[in-house]
Amino acid sequence: MIKIQKEDFNIEVEIELIKSSLPSVGAVTSFIGYVRDFNNNKNVNSINLEVYEKMVHKELTKITVKAKQKWELIDCLIIHRHGYLEVNEKIVLVACFAKHRQESFNACNYIMNYLKKYAPFWKKENYTNNSEWLENTN
Amino acid sequence: MLIKYFAWIKNITSCDQENLDSKKLKTIDDLKIHLNTKYPDLKKHIDKDTLRFAINQEYLSENKKIYKNDEIAIFPPVSGG
Repeated sequence: MIKIQKEDFNIEVEIELIKSSLPSVGAVTSFIGYVRDFNNNKNVNSINLEVYEKMVHKELTKITVKAKQKWELIDCLIIHRHGYLEVNEKIVLVACFAKHRQESFNACNYIMNYLKKYAPFWKKENYTNNSEWLENTN
Repeated sequence: MLIKYFAWIKNITSCDQENLDSKKLKTIDDLKIHLNTKYPDLKKHIDKDTLRFAINQEYLSENKKIYKNDEIAIFPPVSGG
């Protein structure tokens, strides 16, 4: 499942929504990304995340299909926010559901690495006196 | 054809999208030449190959033919997650 949204999300609720109907799942690995308060030697107040919605659904669907085939995942969940976010807010959740832990660990890492390189989001950090678009460091 | 711009590129183009006359633009390379002329501040980024192109939401890795109903997106390297 892929959700691209402005609203905050509850990690446990979202994972349980999927897990509750999958009794064969023995392992869930999750990654949560947050807005940090310091980056590029500057104090960050907030960020703005821009998204190319049509393309992001295609890209994330592509990677979840690959991950499911590669590691026999039972399911996977990606939630990525966009819009204005303040420090400490959640940005992204990737959760991989598998029978065993190794597949879920590997898939979660794989999906997150792909997302950082290819998912069409752009982050602008807001400092006290100015704002800057971040460069991709991946 | 529809051209969409993202992130700081919109500051240069002063818009987030525009429709271009497709009659003279047959390939992505034609589009790059057109944009270099229309937006001189974009030229150094296009020439250094630092921008990404997508046609109909698929990443582009080579010069391709473009058609009047295509949606072409131009954006800097992504920074999500």
